[in-house]
Amino acid sequence: MSNLKVNIAGVEFKNPVITASGTFGFGKEYDRFYNIEELGGICTKGLTIKPRLGNPPPRIAESYGGMLNSVGLQNPGVEHYLQTDDIELSKRDVVVIANIAGSTLEDYIAIAERMNESKADMVELNISCPNVKAGGMAFGVLPENVEKVTSAVKKVCSKPVITKLSPNVACIADNARGAEAGGADAVSLINTLSGMAVNYKTRRPILFNNNGGVSGPCVKPVALKMVWDCFNAVKIPIIGLGGIKNYTDVLEFMICGARAVQIGTHNFTEPCGARDIARDLKEYVDNNNMDINDIVGTLILNG
Amino acid sequence: MTNLKDRTGKIILNNQIAKDIYKMVIAFDDMPEDIKGGQFIHIKLTDNSHVLRRPFCICDFDMDKKTVAVCYAVVGEGTKEMTKYSEGMTIKAMMPLGNGFVPDDNMKKIVLLGGGMGSAVLPAVPKAFGDREYYTYLGFANKDKVVLEEEMKALSKEVVVATDDGSYGKKGFVTNILAEDMAKLKPDAVFCCGPEVMYKALKKALAPFDVPIIVSLEARMGCGIGACLVCNCKVKRNGEEGYLRVCADGPVFRLDEVVL
Repeated sequence: MSNLKVNIAGVEFKNPVITASGTFGFGKEYDRFYNIEELGGICTKGLTIKPRLGNPPPRIAESYGGMLNSVGLQNPGVEHYLQTDDIELSKRDVVVIANIAGSTLEDYIAIAERMNESKADMVELNISCPNVKAGGMAFGVLPENVEKVTSAVKKVCSKPVITKLSPNVACIADNARGAEAGGADAVSLINTLSGMAVNYKTRRPILFNNNGGVSGPCVKPVALKMVWDCFNAVKIPIIGLGGIKNYTDVLEFMICGARAVQIGTHNFTEPCGARDIARDLKEYVDNNNMDINDIVGTLILNG
Repeated sequence: MTNLKDRTGKIILNNQIAKDIYKMVIAFDDMPEDIKGGQFIHIKLTDNSHVLRRPFCICDFDMDKKTVAVCYAVVGEGTKEMTKYSEGMTIKAMMPLGNGFVPDDNMKKIVLLGGGMGSAVLPAVPKAFGDREYYTYLGFANKDKVVLEEEMKALSKEVVVATDDGSYGKKGFVTNILAEDMAKLKPDAVFCCGPEVMYKALKKALAPFDVPIIVSLEARMGCGIGACLVCNCKVKRNGEEGYLRVCADGPVFRLDEVVL
């Protein structure tokens, strides 16, 4: 019998398709296009302990096969979330992953503690936002810091913790090991790649912040390799993301070791894209009478 | 609640109407029930190297013929690609998005003010609210850039066109020309779309007159529906400055709230 359900850290997803943090708000906008309960899960916009205004505009630029963003973690703050979207999302039959971020270790501990009040199923630890000065990125670069922040959060947070890894590091597999050593229940990767878009006429970067995070189909090969590297480095489940735009991309990520995936930029190209990918995956496993879990990490290397 | 759709339309016209400016008319089998001037359409380009849709204000619409028109200036790779789209081609578009111009009941006499490509917002306003009296002022850099004069003549009592260099119509900034006519016109509201520099000038030029000014903002957009927070604009409400989303909170705002 075919199966599309996956399990990460004891949390069951009806399918492996999750929408990526920052591209999907808190779900209500896309819920106007389709029933978000067709998804396996949704990751919320990155939350911080205090509300954040974010960066001045422009915050977005297109590049060939991709885009750059520098939102800078604009969000209404965790208290607002707990009183509003947290409640609304809990009424829906979809796994909710609250993405949390901070600037200092104390910030992370404080927000992780507040998440115990949340109805979210899991917490995703954003230690790799490239768009905030002195931001989470400081914790995302060195493996020992990844371990430190993950372990501090795990000590106070009762929910399963996913540590989201940055690709802008020396060796992402070492950082996955750091997350595992810190007690992470899973890792998700990759966050955006650090990049720049330039206007040749004005000789200025297009983004006000000068730098931004690159995402979209152009980053997929980088992400696939990193997922495979991490799959060979840690035992905890991996959630793969980076440029996924259709169900065959999902299969590629799962073959490289991802147990579930996240859809980000593609939501902008196709507002119903994440739902369509989930539907196409269902058709694929039904047609092949397979359990989707059986393909995880089945990559056959040449030579 | 599911109340938005990604629609598939067929291009029935895509013609150059002025220097580097095109008009595209798209027919949809499945039209929305209601469209307001100032709302926008988020078009998916056919070349997949473009991951972002392109937002354009809905310039005009016809509920009977089931068509929506956009006017666009060729400014980048996306709009350059759009000029090559041929009649009969199908394209995907999310629409209508955002909040349009909705005149209050007491706004009977309205000035429609357009600056350059921003003029493309205007025709849909009287189409949506035909029971008001409209006076149109259009400003362009020069004769080569003049668009939509005929369309606006059919929709308003009077149309005044100005060019910065005087090569067509009146000479000078259209904001100043409108300011000169304000005492005589006494409009109940001014609806405007143009570049930011025009809004600064407009604020100054109309400062002596007690008239609500409603403007439509433009921004680089991502999702187009309020989820991604990239099209932020600074707005001051209740004494507090903060960012709002051009796509979902706007694109139409009161000028006195916009921090320029």
